[in-house]
Amino acid sequence: MFATKRLGKELSKIHGSLPPGITLVTAEGFQEWLLDIRVLDENPIYLNQTYRLKFKFSQSYPIEPPEVTFVNTTDRPIPIHPHIYSNGIICLDLLGTQGWSPVQNVESICMSLQSMLTGNTKNERPEGDAHFVASNRRRPRDIDFYYHDNTV
Amino acid sequence: MPPAGHRPLDPSLPPSTEVDNDDRAPYTPGSSSSLSSSSLYKHLRTPSTSSLNIRHPVDLRAITYDGAVDENLVCPICRCPLVDPVLTECDHIFCRACITDALSNTKLCPIDRSPLDSDGVSRAPKMVHNQLDSLKAKCPCCASSFARSMLENHVEKYCPEANVKCPGIYSEKYCKEVVKRRMSGRGCLHYPVECPDCKETLLLVEMEEHREASCNEKLKACEHCGVNILRCKESEHHEECPDVIRPCNWAEYGCQHEAKRTDLHLHADECSFKLVGPMADTLKKEIKLLRSDMRSLAETNHLQERRIKFLESAQRASDRPMELMDLSLANLPESANTEPLDSGHEYLLSLLESQQSRLSQLSNELTDFQGKNTMMLLNETIPIKNELSELRSTQQVTCMHVRWLMRFRMQENQRRFGGSPGPGPSGSPDGGGSSSDLPFSRRLSDSAPRDIITKL
Ligand SMILES: [Zn+2]
Ligand SMILES: [Zn+2]
Ligand SMILES: [Zn+2]
Ligand SMILES: [Zn+2]
Ligand SMILES: [Zn+2]
Ligand SMILES: [Zn+2]
Ligand SMILES: [Zn+2]
Repeated sequence: MFATKRLGKELSKIHGSLPPGITLVTAEGFQEWLLDIRVLDENPIYLNQTYRLKFKFSQSYPIEPPEVTFVNTTDRPIPIHPHIYSNGIICLDLLGTQGWSPVQNVESICMSLQSMLTGNTKNERPEGDAHFVASNRRRPRDIDFYYHDNTV
Repeated sequence: MPPAGHRPLDPSLPPSTEVDNDDRAPYTPGSSSSLSSSSLYKHLRTPSTSSLNIRHPVDLRAITYDGAVDENLVCPICRCPLVDPVLTECDHIFCRACITDALSNTKLCPIDRSPLDSDGVSRAPKMVHNQLDSLKAKCPCCASSFARSMLENHVEKYCPEANVKCPGIYSEKYCKEVVKRRMSGRGCLHYPVECPDCKETLLLVEMEEHREASCNEKLKACEHCGVNILRCKESEHHEECPDVIRPCNWAEYGCQHEAKRTDLHLHADECSFKLVGPMADTLKKEIKLLRSDMRSLAETNHLQERRIKFLESAQRASDRPMELMDLSLANLPESANTEPLDSGHEYLLSLLESQQSRLSQLSNELTDFQGKNTMMLLNETIPIKNELSELRSTQQVTCMHVRWLMRFRMQENQRRFGGSPGPGPSGSPDGGGSSSDLPFSRRLSDSAPRDIITKL
């Protein structure tokens, strides 16, 4: 299986080394992985916090993007960011069908999210967060986000 | 009792022979079948091993490579060393399958996001293919390393651990099972036998693995050293068991001493053969070496004799023309008699000398011939040259005539058109000039009407 082989390769690389601030929590099977990320600089919004990411892979990974969301546990909140909804859904073009490239991988996604948080200065949720969280039943990949602001 | 076709067939045995395997094959069940053996092997053909091969498509993305593969040879999509690499218009390399998959999803290059479709990819340069082909990878069956391009061939034709068709496919039973290649020389092994250790019944093909791994009775204590050993490896163990009683190293030369393998070295110092033994050993080796030397010398000698015989026969025929002298040993005349080696060498030398003189004679002849040729050429070209210069002078004379005529005509024309301004047709005789001065006539016929037009 294509996805399995590729994820196997990524996993053995992850077991070898990961960039600072990224740790593997579980990678049982090749359907769902959990990773923790931390923001490395002194950004006051995310100071001393660790966030948990859930990766869900389809059979077509890496041709199709994985489904990446933040998950909320007792000590892992959903980070505040104008592109992250309070239910953990992330609005990042590289995770959408349009912006995804099969050369991306788990590690590069984690690093992108890390830098997305690092560069953020607005302590706020996306516009219409409450409405979106209450009404959305679609999978994150199928949501047509409007990638209006790439500077954040 | 197993059915008739289950008896082990030895492929080395000729077909349709009365075979009794009961004392040869180690796992044949006790009683023999009631069918006569000749009818049993009626349809047995000796299988050629290659006909048992099975196609083994090797998944190049699933194999392990030796060492780290150059990052430039790794596909950015599947992260494996490239398989059937292609080059995009934007100079990126991917596996053909990977980029096809990616493009079926988005028509963009996965790396630089530039627009790309399947027409924009072409086979990668030969060099990339060669580099990939020579990558060393482990055989998925036997784990030995081969160049990647050789793997499939190895697994299909040679790997001892790869599956092949059971040779029983050629027997009456028509066994459709597969079996590891290293076990395929023993006929169909797909019949039940009893494990000699645990008395469990299982297929003979699985017996080896069973006795080594899963058998409950696989271990026993060595009767000499007491260590637990595999029952099926008992004789191998006895070859190295420290407590097995072994004769002295020099038993061959007469020492009667015997001791446990571990204690044998204690005897080494006190053995009365300790001086003779090594010497006898060296001598033995020396003799063996000399014998093989002798043998090779005899062979060379024989070869030389044949050569000499041939050369002698050739000498006798040396007045024959060169072309007939065939230097191959195949045409060696059998009836030639033997003479000492020296005459052969002398003959070779004389042959060489005669060839040399012949060669110098030939080169002399060649220079002679060249000289003659040059003379002949000169002689023949002189009259041609003369003729040519004659032609040239004639041409010059003709030219002069033409020029003079031209000037005359032009003056004539000028006088005619200048003096009487009558209509042009009177000048038409100019157009029909003789064919010898064609270029001039053409120019005239050109200029004359022009003159006429200007006049009109
Ligand atoms: Zn490209
Ligand atoms: Zn690939
Ligand atoms: Zn092999
Ligand atoms: Zn068989
Ligand atoms: Zn057993
Ligand atoms: Zn022993
Ligand atoms: Zn001795």
